Amino acid sequence: MSELLQHYLPLAVFIAVALGLSAALLIAPFIVAYKQPDPEKLSAYECGFNAFDDARMKFDVRFYLVAILFIIFDLEVAFLFPWAVAFGKLGLFGFWSMMVFLAVLTIGFIYEWKKGALEWD
Amino acid sequence: MTASAQIPDLLPVLPEIVLIVGALALLMVGAYGGERSSPLVNVASIMLLAAAAAIVTWLPSGKLVTFGGSFVLDDFARFLKVLALGGSAAAILMSLDYFRREKILKFEYPVLILLATAGMGMLVSAGDLIALYLGLELMSLSLYVIAAFNRDSAKSTEAGLKYFVLGALSSGMLLYGCSLIYGYTGTIAFPGIAQAAAQGGLGVTFGLVFLLAGLCFKVSAVPFHMWTPDVYEGAPTPVTAFFASAPKVAAMAIFMRVAISAFPTILVQWQQILVFVAIASMALGSFAAIGQRNIKRLMAYSSIGHMGFALVGLAAGTQAGVQGVLVYISIYLLMTLGTFACILSMKRPGGMVEDISDLAGLSRTSPTMAFLLAMLLFSLAGIPPLAGFFAKFYVFIAAINAGLYALAVIGVLTSVVGAYYYLMIVKIMYFDEPQRSFDPMPREQVVVLAVAGLFNLLFFAYPAPLLDAATAAAKSLF
Amino acid sequence: MYQAIVFLPLIGCLIAGLFGRVIGPRPSELVTTLLLFASMVLSWIALAQVGFGHHDERIVLMNWMTSGNLKVDWALRIDTLTTVMLVVVTTVSALVHLYSIGYMHEDPHRPRFFAYLSLFTFAMLALVTADNLAQLFFGWEGVGLASYLLIGFWYHKPEANAAAIKAFVVNRVGDFGFAIGIFAIFMMTGSIDFDIIFAQAPALVGKTINFFGWQADALTLICLFLFMGAMGKSAQFLLHTWLPDAMEGPTPVSALIHAATMVTAGVFMVARLSPLFELAPTAQTVVIFFGATTALFAATIGLVQNDIKRIVAYSTCSQLGYMFVAMGVGAYSVGMYHLFTHAFFKALLFLGSGSVIHAMHHEQDIRHMGGLKSKIPFTYWMMVIGTLALTGFPFTAGYFSKDAIIEAAYAGKNPMAIYGFVCTVAAALLTSFYSWRLIFKTFHGKPHDHHHYDGAHESPYVMLVPLGALAAGSILAGWPFYEYFAGHHVADFFRASLTFAQGNTILDDMHHVPKAVVFTPTVMMALGFLLAYQFYIRRPDIPVSLAQQHSVLYRFLLNKWYFDELYDFIFVRPAKWLGYTLWKRGDGWLIDGFGPDGVSARVLDVTRNVVRLQTGYLYHYAFSMLIGAALLITWFMFAGAH
Repeated sequence: MSELLQHYLPLAVFIAVALGLSAALLIAPFIVAYKQPDPEKLSAYECGFNAFDDARMKFDVRFYLVAILFIIFDLEVAFLFPWAVAFGKLGLFGFWSMMVFLAVLTIGFIYEWKKGALEWD
Repeated sequence: MTASAQIPDLLPVLPEIVLIVGALALLMVGAYGGERSSPLVNVASIMLLAAAAAIVTWLPSGKLVTFGGSFVLDDFARFLKVLALGGSAAAILMSLDYFRREKILKFEYPVLILLATAGMGMLVSAGDLIALYLGLELMSLSLYVIAAFNRDSAKSTEAGLKYFVLGALSSGMLLYGCSLIYGYTGTIAFPGIAQAAAQGGLGVTFGLVFLLAGLCFKVSAVPFHMWTPDVYEGAPTPVTAFFASAPKVAAMAIFMRVAISAFPTILVQWQQILVFVAIASMALGSFAAIGQRNIKRLMAYSSIGHMGFALVGLAAGTQAGVQGVLVYISIYLLMTLGTFACILSMKRPGGMVEDISDLAGLSRTSPTMAFLLAMLLFSLAGIPPLAGFFAKFYVFIAAINAGLYALAVIGVLTSVVGAYYYLMIVKIMYFDEPQRSFDPMPREQVVVLAVAGLFNLLFFAYPAPLLDAATAAAKSLF
Repeated sequence: MYQAIVFLPLIGCLIAGLFGRVIGPRPSELVTTLLLFASMVLSWIALAQVGFGHHDERIVLMNWMTSGNLKVDWALRIDTLTTVMLVVVTTVSALVHLYSIGYMHEDPHRPRFFAYLSLFTFAMLALVTADNLAQLFFGWEGVGLASYLLIGFWYHKPEANAAAIKAFVVNRVGDFGFAIGIFAIFMMTGSIDFDIIFAQAPALVGKTINFFGWQADALTLICLFLFMGAMGKSAQFLLHTWLPDAMEGPTPVSALIHAATMVTAGVFMVARLSPLFELAPTAQTVVIFFGATTALFAATIGLVQNDIKRIVAYSTCSQLGYMFVAMGVGAYSVGMYHLFTHAFFKALLFLGSGSVIHAMHHEQDIRHMGGLKSKIPFTYWMMVIGTLALTGFPFTAGYFSKDAIIEAAYAGKNPMAIYGFVCTVAAALLTSFYSWRLIFKTFHGKPHDHHHYDGAHESPYVMLVPLGALAAGSILAGWPFYEYFAGHHVADFFRASLTFAQGNTILDDMHHVPKAVVFTPTVMMALGFLLAYQFYIRRPDIPVSLAQQHSVLYRFLLNKWYFDELYDFIFVRPAKWLGYTLWKRGDGWLIDGFGPDGVSARVLDVTRNVVRLQTGYLYHYAFSMLIGAALLITWFMFAGAH
């Protein structure tokens, strides 16, 4: 049992370091930062909306578009990680497969750019 | 690992590669050229489809397997690929005039159809569950988009949304089925599943049910058909024509391949499912169509019914049954395209009309079109000696030879009910007081209608080529 | 040559029928008439060759049908019996064609009329040249069809349509029997060829047929069924009702079909099948009974009728009865003799009546006529000749043939023969009376309708020439042929075409009857004439008061013994009731209600419910999909998977 726990020791260290660092970063501003509060600064941050309002409100479809596009490239990165890890064993075929994937993605990117999907206005 | 690291044989996939590369290239052409390039993209797409079809026939014969068994190109796949490619090409061809009139002639439409067709190609050739899912999704995602292609129309967007949501649900069921099957058999390759499923077990059967439910959604078989009437009615008419043709071919193809090559050992189980689904589809398609006033909605029920008839052949589970389905689906494809060519010609100076009553007196305002449409409708109803009769004949014979007498009898009875609404249209065209005549038929529609009409009328005289091809295709599956 | 006789009218029919609109009425008339005259000339030559030159022939044209044992050839059987009929048919037909050119000249549908006439002639010729029963039946039905078409020629007249349907339906009754007779013959002999049947006939004597459990004598049964057909076609008692109504057709049609040719088909059939009838004495008795009854019965009705054509029609009916009496007593040649002479004078009377009607602008009621003698003298004299021949005035054609029948009836050995004798003698009296009544009321006395009287005019030559020709025939067709039909040359003339059984010596016996019998018909004729003269010339008030005194009898006769009413009550109304019931209750309520209409209504119900499922709500659709999958899963959990 103790041996099993010992395996998790690095994880515990990692958590402790993370906690410490984030706590330090949160606490430090209270101590050193310049303070001049106003209502806008004190209200909760919600990107572009009122924080407290009816949830069933209309909002701009462009948010949706951006989110979708973000997911695509997010997944691209998520796909790249395992590929990178196993790259050594994949050989030429693995390399070209990913190149084709990236090329296809690039073409899609060019298309959305040309269509103006990336411009807010 | 070294085996998979080799670059696999890409030759069997060449048609799909051509389609995808072509689609991407045309997307770039469109992106840089803007709307001006739309006609060019349309024409180029049709040529690409033709080229892909040519490559399919040009590729070495026999069974070609690549990607470790994920992709199979046999006679079965060749037959259906040619059908799907032809259907897609006809769909693009027929859309030109419509979109020009509606001022939504965009280059994305043919590109999306190319991508959907590439998906169909993969679907038809799928050799394992992953390939199946990839092909299906590539096809479906394109279809969701084009259902909502006329995005300024509320109906069209509603159609797209409904199709997408229900499609996602069906994909979920399909994936769930796949995972169950993988869980109980330990493999995703069809031959492996066939071996493992021989031991039976409820788990595999459950997986099968969910997998077939997902596929039934794609062929719009009852009770997974609910999207069909709404989407057919809401989508722009050329899109409806496309939905009713090529995707149905591809979905029916994967249906057959899954049933025959992945689950031959538990035939009894999927036969039960198919009998239920086929009867429900035939009955609902026939009965519900009678109540329709909109011709696109009517065609939706018609296609539900026809898929039911096609499934009768598959339910037989024999080579003759598969051959019957192949013949059926080929004839159905041409009949549907011909009928939609007529529906697309239902336009007056004020715009498109879609009511059956608008066809009144067509025999006097444009006799040739009325005659060909009447023949197509007779054929869809299955009246000899037109092609549609032979389509039904082969599937029913297969069902009878397989001992499914009740199914065949119910099929014949529902086709009698179904004949009613086809004949009703003929009656309206020939006996009712004429309405204002339609605008002249555009050339593209004339070509499609002429081909479909002549095939329909003359099939009985020389059926050998289609029958031989279907026989070879069916043989390669067993 | 024989082929030409039979098929020339068919060619005429096809030309007039198919191209009548193209070539116009006049050429249609000329073509059909000329072809008929050609056919007539050839027929007379044929009579000379066959009857007098003894050249019987059998010409096989083609194999018609072969089915199992049944093998039917299309062959022309040419013997004396056939050629006699050929002469009668083609001669009368040719003259009627010619007459029709004048009579129908105002009708817009002349090509159709002439096509029908020629079609009829072809069918009749096919009938008389038949070599087997199938061919005979073909001609039999062919003339029936032509008769139907011609009676209903003026199809815009409801009465004409009703009469045509009546003729057709009544004939169906007879044909039903005829067909059963043919089946019975085929059952017993295995063939329907005349030669084979006749050869086997003697062997059938004494054999029986199980007929609904009744062991009937085969030959008697066969002959009775065949005679049933003859009764229908020849308008014998009980099946006679269609003939008077058939007068709705154009008058030339009445002359050709309903006097001279078609109605004699029954007589011809019995003569043709004489080898069978000779062996079935019971059937012969029945034939005599019906013939004699018809002769008398039709004559009684003829006494009081007022329509000029109906009087002649009842007269025809009566004369056909005479022929059957002759057939029944075994004097076949005598019956044929009367058929031959009757064709001339009855066609003459009909065409004469037509001429009168033509002159009177389609007035047919003799009560509106009178005094026409001075207006249309030629027609008058022709009618007188016809009447003389009909009533049997010495040395006219009718005198020889009719007296021969009465003598034969007297001499006949059949127990029923004496009934035949009494009836025919009585009928002779009545015939004379009503025939002269017709003449007197039409041509003598004072005109009753001055409007028509003033407009009366003699018919054109194209109509008078046939009258003259037939009048000549009415006088001359008797004496020269007497020896061949009723005298010493019968066996030599008819040879094998008629069969007389071993003990049948009727032709000899009839020449040895008492003198009183020989003179009886002549006396009757004179008596009838005098009566008519007394009634209608000297004391026109007698018939009126007689009719008042015996109003029951008068109305009984005027209403034709109430046969139409009787049949209407027994057959027509039950049939209509049955038909109406089957239509409204059986077909409309039961079959339509539960069959097509019921099914289609249920289909629509189902449709309504199914369509209601399609709500348009996404969650309903998704729900249905999930339910579907769940159902299938449940099924496999509890029932399906092993």
